[in-house]
Amino acid sequence: MEVSMPQKRYYRQRAHSNPMAHHSFENPVCPEEMDWSQLYPDFFTEGVSDKEMSRVEFADIGCGYGGLLVELSPLFPDKLMLGMEIRVKVSDYVQDRIKSLRASQPGSYQNIACIRSNAMKFLPNFFFKGQGLVYTITDVEEVHVWMVKHFTEHPLFTRVPDEELVDDIIPGRLGSCTEEGKKVQRNGGQNFLAIFRRIDDPNQD
Amino acid sequence: MLRSLTQIFCDAVVPMLKRAYRQTAMAAAIGFCGDWCLLSCGSKLLAVHSKQSRDSYVFDCSIAEKKAKTAKDDSDSNKGASEDTKSDDILAFTVSPSGKLVALADNCKRVVLFHCEHSWKCVSIRFVVRKCTALVFTNAEDELLVADKSGDVYSFSVVEPQREGELKMGQLSMLLNITLSLDDNYIITADCEGKIRVSHRRSPYNIQSFCLGHNEFVTALLVPLAGCQFLLSGSGDGTVKLWDIESGCRLHSCDLNIFKETETKLNEKPTVCRIISSPDGSHIGVLCSRVPTIQFLTLQLMVKDKLVPHSVLTLPHCPLDIAFDSEGKLWVMMDCSDKMFNVYTHKDGEWQCNAQSLEVSRITEAFNPVWETVETSTRTKLWFEHLHKRSYDNVAMYMQKKEQRLKEQQLKRAKLQRTNNNKKARKETSMKEDQSSSSTRKPDDWQKE
Repeated sequence: MEVSMPQKRYYRQRAHSNPMAHHSFENPVCPEEMDWSQLYPDFFTEGVSDKEMSRVEFADIGCGYGGLLVELSPLFPDKLMLGMEIRVKVSDYVQDRIKSLRASQPGSYQNIACIRSNAMKFLPNFFFKGQGLVYTITDVEEVHVWMVKHFTEHPLFTRVPDEELVDDIIPGRLGSCTEEGKKVQRNGGQNFLAIFRRIDDPNQD
Repeated sequence: MLRSLTQIFCDAVVPMLKRAYRQTAMAAAIGFCGDWCLLSCGSKLLAVHSKQSRDSYVFDCSIAEKKAKTAKDDSDSNKGASEDTKSDDILAFTVSPSGKLVALADNCKRVVLFHCEHSWKCVSIRFVVRKCTALVFTNAEDELLVADKSGDVYSFSVVEPQREGELKMGQLSMLLNITLSLDDNYIITADCEGKIRVSHRRSPYNIQSFCLGHNEFVTALLVPLAGCQFLLSGSGDGTVKLWDIESGCRLHSCDLNIFKETETKLNEKPTVCRIISSPDGSHIGVLCSRVPTIQFLTLQLMVKDKLVPHSVLTLPHCPLDIAFDSEGKLWVMMDCSDKMFNVYTHKDGEWQCNAQSLEVSRITEAFNPVWETVETSTRTKLWFEHLHKRSYDNVAMYMQKKEQRLKEQQLKRAKLQRTNNNKKARKETSMKEDQSSSSTRKPDDWQKE
């Protein structure tokens, strides 16, 4: 088994992949049938009851080369994190990177994994409905404005104000630990952050 | 800059898929609206009264009003030629629960509403943004919901028949069917990826649940009268599944392969086209494409496996469509010039064919001239067969190349290792030999190797 760190130059792929095209993915039919033990073997050892079974709590949609996953893994060692990436080469890179990290630092990085899939179509196949937070970040201001507009207009989301994020260690890392984030820093660009919380339907009778 | 293999692939495949989706839905379909028998065929909707000798009603989409051209349409003038030659085929039609309203969607993006309580009247022709695949009236009959190929659902008012359609909800995958829970609380949509989504009707952005379990596209949906908290679905994976609507929980799955006769190819999954229910809810009929039988199931709520196979009706030809009339008689429409319609009644525990009935002759007589105008090739086309999951895989290609690269790297390393080891060994030997007076090889000789 190849355990040396993968070299990015063999896994380069252009940034855009059409999510509307019919790629073939190996998706679980439904969240109940997803076998997480393949991705997080240390967390799903024999004898663990259904109640004690861990669930993925962080999902990086479009995880790219895995920078955020690798950064957050040691900060939340008990939380399972999943990166979803549609590009073949890039998702393979992350999988190889995680394999290599796990081998070189036994006991570490067992809580992160990457899967190749189209989140726009198949997110419900992997995850049950839940509450939680959505962290968005971009260096393109128009994209930020667009995301803020749509999340704000959506009755099921509300923006989390900065004051409430004082104790959250994630926002500070978002802009610096990914490939794209580092590129923005190098070029002296700006990152636009917006965080939203899922709320109950205000229009529900 | 070199484009990735995936991108080249997508650019080639997506236009191909788009072409496949342009074909018509059911080339011919049958339904009932009170005592009126509805038949759609090509661009025509024909309504024939089954009991009385009344004039038939025909609506021909090819002569219906076209969308008024806006400034934007004029600027897209390069599309003008193809627009004129596009067919006006009917893609889907639906009847309201009371039988007083009918609506259809055609290939030219029209949504047409009809009133038919005492006489037939085309009440309005409205236009949609994308081609529709299915429509359904709310049980309150105040709204018409339309599902389209881009994955969106629009609502058209029945009370205000000229009011423009309103976008209600959307998703990425193409929708194939739509229905409502009997209390109109939930909109249920089925897509080409096999997902069924249950959304709150008054707040459709709020997804109540997903019914996940089908491996292929879902074409048929039915909320049974016998159990209104349940949903029946039929798919290209050859199964009919029973779900609890609110929780999305899969209660039962019925594999239609078990009904197949041994002569037919076993490796081909039957694709479910239609699931229908008799008016009293006692019989549920399932039609699969290119299969000359109808499978009947019953819903038994007190039993563990609630969906129970009941009987199989063998037909002389593969049916184009099936429907129950208001009296519970089963109508089967077949592509056979001698006998287009077979009518069955369930008597003494079996389906008995009404050999020669006045109803059938009246309807056949009215329908034949319309049917003859449609080309044979279009009559039996089933567009959703193109939706079966493709087996091409861009991952395999990449993995092969990767393995090759890793092997080459390994060989290179091994070779380098051997060379280094040899060099090291020889150097040590040479050093030892230098210490003694005689040496068999000179250091210069190493360079030549």
